[in-house]
Formats: sequence, C-alpha cells, structure tokens
Amino acid sequence: MWLPILGLIVGIIIGLLTEIRIPAEYSNYLSIAVLAALDTLFGGIRANLQNIYDEKVFVSGFFFNIILAASLAFLGVHIGVDLYLAAVFAFGVRLFQNIAVIRRILLTKWASNKEKLEKS
Amino acid sequence: MKIIKVKGSHVILSLVCLVLGFIISFSFHITQLKMNNEKPNLSDTQYEKTLSLRNQLIAQEEINLKLQKELKKKQEMVQENERELAKQAQIYSNIAEDTEKLRMFLGKVKVKGKGIKITLSDGAYDPNEENINNYLVHEHHVFKVINELYISGAAAVAINGQRLTSQSYIVCNGPVITVDGVQHPAPFVITAIGDQEVLESAINLTGGVKDQLVNDNLIFTMEKENEIILPPVLGS
Repeated sequence: MWLPILGLIVGIIIGLLTEIRIPAEYSNYLSIAVLAALDTLFGGIRANLQNIYDEKVFVSGFFFNIILAASLAFLGVHIGVDLYLAAVFAFGVRLFQNIAVIRRILLTKWASNKEKLEKS
Repeated sequence: MKIIKVKGSHVILSLVCLVLGFIISFSFHITQLKMNNEKPNLSDTQYEKTLSLRNQLIAQEEINLKLQKELKKKQEMVQENERELAKQAQIYSNIAEDTEKLRMFLGKVKVKGKGIKITLSDGAYDPNEENINNYLVHEHHVFKVINELYISGAAAVAINGQRLTSQSYIVCNGPVITVDGVQHPAPFVITAIGDQEVLESAINLTGGVKDQLVNDNLIFTMEKENEIILPPVLGS
C-alpha cells in the first residue's frame, strides 16, 4: 500500500520542483488533463468499491482520458470553439456522480456494518 | 505469483499516482506562477497607496500644465507691455526732440548754428542830398532783409542780437527802430541761422534786396559766420 502513496508524493515533489515553463495558452490543456485524471481516479475507486474494477480499463482510461482531454482542448483552441468547456463539463459531472456513488456505497457499507455489529 | 501480481498492480497504481501527482502539482505550480505574474506581489494597502500616489501625481501634472499655460499667457502679456513701452518711449523721445526743435524755433532757448551776418549802416553824409532820410536805414529796409531771409529758409533771425519771433514787431521810432519794445540804433546787425549758400544767394539776387538797399545809399555788408549764437527771446 505504501508504494502508490510514495509514487504520489514523488510525483508531487517532481511537479513542484520542475522549472519547465510552458506557454500560457497551454495551461488550459493541463487543467483539463488534471480534471480527466481526477475523474478517472474516482471512477477507479468507485469501480473498486462496486467490485467491477479492472486494472487494464483503469490504467488505459487514465492515460487515454488525459490525452483525449488535452487534444480536445487543443482542437477547441485551434478551431475557435471553447471545446475544453465541454470536457470540463463532462468530467465535472462525472466527477460528482462518481463521488456521489462512492459516498452512497460507503454509507451503505457503514450501515450494514453497524447492523451486523448490532446483530452480533 | 500472488505477491508478484499484487506488487505488479501496485507498481502500475503507483505509476498512475505519480503521474497524477505530477500533473496536479505541475498545474498548481504553473497557475501559481501565472497569478504571481499577473499580480506582482501587491497587497491591497500597497495598491491603494500606489493608486493614491499616482492620482496625486496626475493631479499635480494637471496643475502644472495649467500653470504653464498661465505662465505663457502672462509672458505674452509682458511682451506686449514691453512692446508698448518701447513704442511709447520712442514716441516720447520723438516728442522730446520735436519740443526741442519747436523751442528753438520759438526762441525759448539759445540756438547755435551756421549762418550769415548782414550789417546795415547809414550812408555817409552827403551835403548834396537835401533829405537825410535818403541815406538812413529805415525799418522797411530791415523788413525787406528779414522777410527775404525768412522766405529763403532762415531758421532764426535776430536784430542786434535780439531774437525775432512770429509775433515780433518792428517800428520806426525817429532815429532808432524799436524791436519788441527795445530800441536799436544804427547800424543794424541782422544775423540769421540757416543754409549759408541759399541765404547768401537769395540776398545777392540781381535786383534783389541787396541791390535795392545799395540803391537807397545804405552801406550793406554780408559775412558768412560758422558759428552764430542767438539768445532766447526776451521776456518769454
């Protein structure tokens, strides 16, 4: 369990320490990528809780969503339509849905645990 | 096998987490930098201070502009005044010169200049002549000379050193002639200031004043004088 947390910490440190400057117009893509990553992460957590977790789906979804979101934003910038808003919208809705589902599952689990405890 | 498998999934998961952490922190970092660039470390109070200072500066500059305009206007006024003063000074100096000239003409001051001096003396006693009036200088002789001098442009004329004015009178009064109430005996010295050549030729005109006077048996002498000084008119 410590390995993913270590990876997260290392990633954060690398991100904070890098002095790579990307042009301002590309920061939009990055934020979309962040959103996609978070969405996929919560989707994975939900799937894990619903016991339909598939590692391949999760990993491929993670990277693919990031790349897709970034390219969508890129396309939007180049054809003059704010397509990244669509990505933000879609990912935002899915993010909230996933979190809600996770919350409900956790609540049910907690309630059933409580019942079990009371029964026993 | 199981451990390896678990570890493999953990490795993949940690890779995902690494990428996630990297992306999040990098995005955060960049956003932070952007915000810093947009607002270069200005707190509210500092901003307000800067704003008020800038406003003060602008107000000051506006005042300066206004004052400069005013200054220009004032300078123009000063220039105008100076020009006017110069004009006035010129006028005054002209007037002063004119007054001086006019004074000279009126005989209020002493005048000095080139001119001629004409002396009229009574003729020598002639026993053949019954009437001595025929060889005495009369006031009409004097008149003739004086008129001729004035006509030919004499600026100032005096009889025996007494300046004549436009109001002077010359009266025959027995053996003497009276000029402005002052008696003058013969010989009469008439001095005139003016163009010597002109005056001389005017008097010497053939059949002119000189000839007439000589005809009347008077002794007539004329000299050019380089410096004649005439005193001011008496009683003025």
